[in-house]
Order: sequence, then structure tokens, then C-alpha cells
Amino acid sequence: MDFLAEGFRRALALLFSGDAEVYGIALLTLKIGVISTVLACGLGIPLGFVLATRGFWGRRAALTVVNTALAFPTVVLGLLLYGLLSRRGPLGAVGWLYTWQAIALGDVLLALPIAAALAAAAVQGVDPRIRRTAETLGAGRWRSAWSVAREARFALAAVITTAFGHVVAEIGSAMTVGGNIRGQTRTLTTAVALYTSQGDFGLALALGLILLLLALLVNVALQALQGRGRA
Amino acid sequence: MLELRDVRHEYDGRVVLHLERFAVPPGAAIAVVGPNGSGKSTLLRLLALLERPTQGRVLLDGAVVTSRGAARRRVTLVEQRPILFRATVRENLEFGLQVRGIRRTEVNRRIQDVAARFGITPLLGRRRHELSDGEVQRVAVARALAVEPDVLLLDEPASSADRAAALTLYRALAEERVRRPMAVCLASHQLEDAYRWADDVRALADGRLSPVTPENLFRVELMPAESGDLKHACVGAVEIAAMTDRTGPAILAVPPTDIFVSREPLASSARNTFQGRVTGLARRGPGAVHVTADVGVELIAVVTEEAVRDLALAPGSPVVFSFKASAVRVF
Repeated sequence: MDFLAEGFRRALALLFSGDAEVYGIALLTLKIGVISTVLACGLGIPLGFVLATRGFWGRRAALTVVNTALAFPTVVLGLLLYGLLSRRGPLGAVGWLYTWQAIALGDVLLALPIAAALAAAAVQGVDPRIRRTAETLGAGRWRSAWSVAREARFALAAVITTAFGHVVAEIGSAMTVGGNIRGQTRTLTTAVALYTSQGDFGLALALGLILLLLALLVNVALQALQGRGRA
Repeated sequence: MLELRDVRHEYDGRVVLHLERFAVPPGAAIAVVGPNGSGKSTLLRLLALLERPTQGRVLLDGAVVTSRGAARRRVTLVEQRPILFRATVRENLEFGLQVRGIRRTEVNRRIQDVAARFGITPLLGRRRHELSDGEVQRVAVARALAVEPDVLLLDEPASSADRAAALTLYRALAEERVRRPMAVCLASHQLEDAYRWADDVRALADGRLSPVTPENLFRVELMPAESGDLKHACVGAVEIAAMTDRTGPAILAVPPTDIFVSREPLASSARNTFQGRVTGLARRGPGAVHVTADVGVELIAVVTEEAVRDLALAPGSPVVFSFKASAVRVF
């Protein structure tokens, strides 16, 4: 237990000392997390909306694909992405391998099905009378969809929180396509894994605490937004 | 103005509505009556252009509706259990006006106006969870009227309201029609409301317009007869005898003019004799009175004013309703 207490002491010391490396890692994680969450939700929520509200051929199959993608192992995702982004891969010319953009791309692909599946469930949970009421009051397709989204806003906020939680906690793909390069692609999760393996438990714990803090801050911010839109 | 023609509508292969023609002329006050499941709500949703009929056409001003979005701005439906958006009452009233791009000053004027007419001004700042079912219903009707539709469709508008609130609602609707020309088509299972309010009462049974008057319509299961065509069907607490070669699910109609009303049971050929109490008397047309009685089920008979006097009929007085099995219409 001593090493655990020591780890905590070290973690707090690092947090309050303003260690440039620690904060650099945290900021990169935040940047990748925000960008990939925005992209994944920006694509995934409308996709979930379409899956939940539109009747089209193959809808059921599309829902099955999206739900299956929820369980896609991140290491396998990283491996596939590595194949695509490697110099000899079809996207090798982009030159993204071992960059933060590659990590973000992996995170988007990871969070997209999460956002789509949860958004579909959220929209399906909205009383169908809301859409009918909007339509009968003269709203067009987009305005009606917006009314449904407003009704599901608490659940959709949870979709964003969940997507963000997944992308900042992801390690498999980040390690494979990011390479955990110091000062460039080292994120909180890859750094925790690295420092733990090196026996630097205090630093690993400090980074873990920052990761938790980030997740907490995002949740608090979303809850504050939800609090404004009362029932 | 608004019309369904040769419409057939199905849910999962089951026909729920089959109408050759159903028209809502400009300025009409139509009540569609019928038992639960007769297709009233489906009819209103088709008229409101919220659903496309499986077969058939919807016409507005004589032309087939091609743009449902544009047509919906002229036809508004208030559902049986209306729902308010997760917002204040004021924001709910604003919704239809905002989607029409109406200017803020006009929006405010209309909201104040409609809120005052429906007595919901004190509720404007409240949210939906702070309202009773009756208040939600009133707000929903006011919200529909705020957009000043050409056709207002109401599905059981008094279902969530007590008697006094229902009367207030009907009075407000009548005043609204005086204020501006508007066709109203409402669905109700309460004949009393339909007759009190509408100029044109139409009966719907099993998705079809009934060929008989809308009173005394019942969905039944006709039991097989031991011999002949005299069948029996349970309706409420009574068993009605009918002459028909049909068995199984059917609609029974007992024409109110074919019911004999007496104070004591009559020695007669009538196979249906039920004792009960008068629950209501309503004058309908010159010299005719509708007598509503609870005889184990609610039945309506039409008698003359003289008969009412002679039999001393009044709410609460004992009464006997008799009618022949051959008078019962089965379809």
C-alpha cells in the first residue's frame, strides 16, 4: 500500500507543479478528444436520427451493423487503420501515420457507431406525438427533426458524454497508429501505459487522475447545459 | 375544401379505413362518432396529412395534395391525448407561428389573443409538467387555433376534461367559428357532444361510414343460433337479439325511432325488452325528443314531446325500452 500512497503524493505534486510534459500530454488528449467527439457526434447523431425515424430498405441491417460496431475491438481498429495509413497502404500518401490526426481518425471511427446507436435509441425514445404535433403545426422536415432533437436533448447530451468518454479512454488504436511519440502523439492513456510499464507509478497515476478530471469536467459542463433546459 | 376520395388505409395488412368519399366543406362543423377502434383517429390523421392513405387520394380545394408540407399549414390536428413540447406554454403557442415566419409583434398579439379566449393567460409561463390533463388539452387547442387554420381537426377534444371544461371548450370553439370562417371536424364517442355542437353528425363503424344514424351503434360478437337466424350478442350488461344470418364480429345498430318507450314492460312481440332509468332528455328538431336511458347499456330512443309528457319522463324516472329483433340492423 505504501507505493500507492507514494503514487498519490507524486501525482498531486506533479499536478500542482505545472509540469510542462504532463500538461502537454493532457492538452493533446483534450484536443484529440474534442475534435474526434465533435466529428463523431456531428456525423453519428444525424445518422442515428435517420436510422430511428426513416423507413428505408436495409434500415434493419444498418442498425445491426452500427450496433455490432459498438463492440469493435480498438486494437483491431488500430491495426486496420495502420494498414490503411502505412506508407504502402491506400492512404499512405496522406502521411498521417504516427500523427495526432491518425489518433483522431481512429477515435472518430470508434465513437461514430456509439453516437449513431445511442442517438437512434434516444430518438426512438421520444414520444411519436412530438413529431406529429410539429408537423401538424406546419413544421417542415428539418424543423420537425429539431423538435424531436430538443425533446431528446438530455439523452443526446449523454451520447456526447459517452462518445467523449470513449475517445479519451481509448488506448489500442492510439498506441498503434499514434506510436506514443513523446511530445507529438503521447496521450494520457498511452502515457499511463508507458510509465506503468517503466515502473514510474506516480507519474502514471498523475496522468490517470488528469484523465478522470477531464471526464469529470466534460460531464459537469454537459450537466450544467442540461440544467438550463428544464423539463 | 378537404376531401378523402376512394381511400383505403391498412395497418399491417388489416384494413382500418375504407371510405368512398369523406368531405369537409368550408366552414362545416362535422362530428364523427363511433366506438373505440372504429377508425376515427386514423381518419383524422389522414385528413391532417400526417399519414398517406394506402390507396386513394386526399384533395384540398379540389386538387390532389402533392405537397403535404404546404397543405399542413392549412389543416391542423389536435390529437386525443395531445402532447406539449418540452417548453413553456407561451413557447408552445409560438411554435406554429414561428415556423410560418410570422413577425414577433404579430406572434405576441396572437398569443395574447388566443390565450385570453381560452383562459390560459395565467398558464403562459408554465411548463408542461406543471399543467393538468385538462389544461394541456386547452393549451393544445389554443396552440392549434393560434395558427388560424382553414380546417381544425379535433380527436376527442373533451376526453381529458371534466364536464364543465368540455362545455367551455365547445363554447370557445363555437365563438372561434363566429370570429373567423373555419371548418371543424371532431371525432367523439359522445353523441351528446356531437349533437350539441355539430351541424353534421357522421357515424363511423369498423372503418366505414355507417349507413344508419349514429345512435346505438355497438361492436359485438354474434353468437351462433341454435336454430334459425335469431342471434344474440352481449352489449354492456344486456343481451340483444337480432335477426341475421351472420355470426361472429359485427356492428349492431338499433335505430332510435324503432324503440318503443313505456313505463311498464309491454306484452308484445318485441324480443328485446330492457328496463332502466332515464339519464337524459334532449330536444332534437320540431317535436322530437331524444330519450337516453341506462338499461344496462346506454340506449337512445326518439319520441314525441307528447309522449314525454304522457309518460312523465324525466331524468331518473324508470323506463322500459322495447324493440323487435328484426329492427336491429347488422353490418
